[in-house]
Formats: sequence, structure tokens, C-alpha cells
Amino acid sequence: MSWIKEGELSLLEKISANILKAGPMPKHVAFIMDGNRRFARKKNMERQEGHMQGFNKLAETLRWCKHLNIPEVTVYAFSIENFKRTKDEVDGLMELAKQKFERLLEEHENLEKHGVCVRVLGDLNMLPLDLQQLIAKAVFTTRNHNKCFVNVCFAYTSRYEITNAVREMAWGVEQGLIKGSDVSEALLSECLYSNNSPNPDLLIRTSGEVRLSDFLLWQTSHSCLVFQSVLWPEYSFWNLCEAILQYQLNHKSIQKARDLHREHQALQQLEADRACVVELLQHHGNGKPVDSQRRQEALLHYTACREERVRDFLEALKHKRDSFFSDLCSESLLA
Amino acid sequence: MRTRMALMYSLLWRLLLILVHVNRALFSWLHVRIQSWKGRLWERAATVLLLPISLVGFPDFQNNLNHGPDANAKPITEKRTGGCRSRCLSDGKSLKKIPVHIGLLVAEEEPSYPDIANVVVWCMAVGISYVSVYDNHGVFQKNNSRLLEEIKRQQQDLMGVDGSMHSVEFLSSGSDQHQHNVVSCRPTVRVLSPDDGKQSIVHVAQQLCRSVENKERSFKDINVSMLDLLLRESKNIPDPELVVKFGPVNSTLGFLPWHIRLTEFISLPSHRNVSYEDLLGALQRYGACQQRLGQ
Repeated sequence: MSWIKEGELSLLEKISANILKAGPMPKHVAFIMDGNRRFARKKNMERQEGHMQGFNKLAETLRWCKHLNIPEVTVYAFSIENFKRTKDEVDGLMELAKQKFERLLEEHENLEKHGVCVRVLGDLNMLPLDLQQLIAKAVFTTRNHNKCFVNVCFAYTSRYEITNAVREMAWGVEQGLIKGSDVSEALLSECLYSNNSPNPDLLIRTSGEVRLSDFLLWQTSHSCLVFQSVLWPEYSFWNLCEAILQYQLNHKSIQKARDLHREHQALQQLEADRACVVELLQHHGNGKPVDSQRRQEALLHYTACREERVRDFLEALKHKRDSFFSDLCSESLLA
Repeated sequence: MRTRMALMYSLLWRLLLILVHVNRALFSWLHVRIQSWKGRLWERAATVLLLPISLVGFPDFQNNLNHGPDANAKPITEKRTGGCRSRCLSDGKSLKKIPVHIGLLVAEEEPSYPDIANVVVWCMAVGISYVSVYDNHGVFQKNNSRLLEEIKRQQQDLMGVDGSMHSVEFLSSGSDQHQHNVVSCRPTVRVLSPDDGKQSIVHVAQQLCRSVENKERSFKDINVSMLDLLLRESKNIPDPELVVKFGPVNSTLGFLPWHIRLTEFISLPSHRNVSYEDLLGALQRYGACQQRLGQ
């Protein structure tokens, strides 16, 4: 079945959507699509069928988000922890993923028409090579689309993602692109797999579980969390509206908390820069006290240099990541 | 025409919010009434009566109403000593499971120290060995001596003056931590702030990058267990199994991002005038959570 479901909303759905859109709307919604297996058990289906229904629900949810003007959606499709499941189930999920990405490539014209950019986040080298190649092709083909964004977390956990970001920064240090003192919260965020996306405004988990299960822990620190008891394959437009309403009710207080955090971050960066400048001046100084104007100039200069270093490093990181995908693509062409 | 439509939708949206707030206020009032008039019949009747009105379900609140503590739970009234302690202990033993580390996330402005101190003391009395208190302004951090005073006071009031099992280890960032084993004999109270979250991860990252700069290791050596170990060495905070969030804001507000990967989140409407039954209810709900750990 297709990634994109065409079709308008019903009249009632349209009216409700318009009412909600009169208030603040999330620009990025993340879903933990939990409950496929419980759904399958409930309906006496095979597990695999439950996962298929789950995928169909994803396509439908993307359609609703489009009508609600929500341009970005991130979903938790497969956790690194899920490798612990039985070989049959894991193989089944890998097979389903292959089918879906193949389907995506078949639909590439439709995706272009709707401007859908598909990104896959995770430790992709844990996946079978043929799936990696399919994913790379899908990501590569849709990379310039910019109307809406679908991020699929596959072979992903947040701790692995954060660790990878730290590793990338350490790589940058080893390459001489950045210094250890350049490491900051902002830089770490830029090194995550999700660095091309803003942080999710709203995180929804279905099936009634009330935990985050190692999903986007860094990015959702100031997001609205909504736990809903409906099973994912049974998710409805009204469930989505309910979650968005929760977001709207929390909007002001979360915004306040976010702003507070941002201010605090900026202050910390300033202090870190100041500390570096003091150290530098001591090193290069000749014991004479430095006047405050000189200190201020040195601080501005240091900050500008640091920002340039960071820009160059991020450029190199982007290039490294793009090469990973394009190499996989060209490998598959040769195969 | 379009602006008139936009205006109409805007008004409808405002109306929707007002309806939701009225609904909430109604439920709040009802919750208080139920607390003071324990009766399953009254609970069920009230839920049924209000169900048609609450078209926008408040699953959180509905859950609180439905999974409330046992009707047999007697409220802890004013200062009782001794008997309270054994009551709490037996309540703790009757729970399916209790967390080793419980996080108390106060997502409300102007925290009330006596109320939070109460919750801390109850948690310890029930048998939880590590209790952390967090707010995203760092208010508890700044006033941790005041919090400690309140906790000591509540402990004496509730549990009796003899402090035998109740010498508490009180930690906040900046205090020396020589303990490396999490499970100490004494219950630990820890005050946390946003700096214990992302900023701690950044410090570990800086540490690792500096060691790479000094050619002490390669970036390839860095893995999840290394990061986890270093985090534990710098701030020995165990992963919380349960976080009880007080207040209407549905967010973790920066609470320990690394540590909460498997944490269960249970919300209570407020920490002000929170009762022992409210806490027990949350612990009972925690007991019902089942983790599949990916499988």
C-alpha cells in the first residue's frame, strides 16, 4: 500500500481542522506508533498483518497532517532494542521495510508532486545491506523536496544518537576542525541525526504506555508529551485533534520554559567563551593586566573564530553524511 | 468573506478552550469532593454524569479518577507518629513493584516546600531509596537548605522523633559524592536542576573530546557504555523508573534526558495539598506498568 493517501477531509473534519488551526499549531509532530501487535491479537490477525495495518495508519496520518498544515512528522519505526525480538519477527519487519521503501521509489513522481522529503534516522549500518541501499536511494531521491518532511527512525535509539553526535564531534577534534572547548549543547544538537529538523513540538505515544522508550530524548526535552490509550492501527483523526488540543493548552507554558532554557544556554555559551578568552590572554599576555576594552575585543574575536570553525566542521559533517548515502546508492547501481 | 470565516473559526477556537477549562475545573472540583466522600458509587455516578460533557476526553484525569487508590485506604490526617511509619511500610510492601529511584517533577510556578517535603517523606516511608526533586527554574536547587529543613520537619512530624532508620542522605549538585554504589542503606534525596540534564551530557562530551585532543583516545573508541559510565562517574544518578509530574504542563521540561529512556511518567494535577492517597495511587499505577524492553 501507498505512502501517500489522497483525499480530502470530511465536512466535519474540515470544520474541526479549521477551528484548531485558529490556534497555535505544532510544526513538527513525533509519533511512537505503539500497539500493532496488540491490535493483531485483538483482531485475531497475524502479527505481520498488524504491522502492515500500522503502516497504512502512518500513510493516513500523513494525509491528516498535510490537511492540518503540519509540515514535519517523525515516527519511531524500529528501535535498536527491537533486534531482540524473534528472528522471524525481525526478518518480517525488515522485509516489510524493504517492500515499503521499494514502493516509495516506485511512487517517486507522486512524492515529487507532493514535495515529500523522506529521511531515515538511525544507526543504518546495523541493517542488512540491501535495505541500507534501498533507504539510501529513497533518501537521495527525495532530498530536495521541501513541502513536507517525513523522518523515519529505523535502527534507532536516542542514546545511540547522542553517542554518535559526541563521536562526530570527537572526529571533528581529531581532524583539527574544532577544539574540545567548542563542544556545547547547540553543537551537539547540530550533530544529531535529526539536525535538519526543528525539535518536535508534540510527541504522541499510542497504546497507553507512558514512557519514551529511548526516542528523541534530547530533542523532546521541551515538547508537549501526549500519551493516548488507543492502539496505533486504530488511531483516528479525532485522536490527532485531541493531541493537538493538548498542545494548544500547553503552548504558552512550554514556550516560556523553552525561552528560559534558550536564555540560560546563551549565557552558558557566553561564559564558556569568556573563560577561554581569559585563558588565551593569560597565555599570550606578558603579565600585564588587560583592560576591559581589550578583553571585550578579544571576546568578540574569539566568538567569531569559534563560530567559523563550527560552520566549517558542520559543513564537513554534512558532506560526510551525504557521501554515506550517495556511496550506498552508487554501490547498489553497480550491484 | 475569508476574514469573516477566519474570525468565526477564531471565536469557535476560543470557545473550545473555554469549554475545556470549564470541564477541567469541574473535574477538579469533583476530585476534591471524591477525596472527602469516599465511595465507589459516587465516583462511578460522577464519571457517568460528566461523560457526555467531556467530549474532549482527559485521559490523564479520567485515569486518575478510575485508577484511584483503594477505597479502603484511610487518609493520613494530621501529625501521627509511629503508626504512620508502619502503615506506609506495609503499603509499600503490598505494591506490585516500587521504583528504586522516583523523580518528583514539579511543573508548577511557586513551589510549596511543605507539600513537596511531604511527598519526599512519604516516598521514603513507603520504601523508595532514592528520591529526586526537580523544577525547570532550578528553584529547589537554589533553596535546597530550605527544602532540607522542611523534609526534616515533616519526617519528625510524621515518623516520630527517633531518627533510627531515617538519617537521610541529602544531595544537590556541588556536594561531594564519594559514594559509588547506588544502593546505600540510607535513603537518598537529590535535588536536580536543568544543569543535571543536557549540560551534564555536554560536560562528558567535552571531557571525551579533550582526551581526543590530547591523543589519549580515538573518536572510534566512543560508545554508549562509555558515555553512560562517565555520566555515572560525574553525577551518580540512577535511572529513574518512575517520574511523578505535578502540574498541568505536559512536558519533561529538561529533566535528565539521558536517564529517562525507560521511565514511566505519571501525572498528578498539583503538588499543592497533595495527599498520601494521591501518591499511593500513582505508585499503584506504576505497579501495573509492564515493560517489554523492545521485545
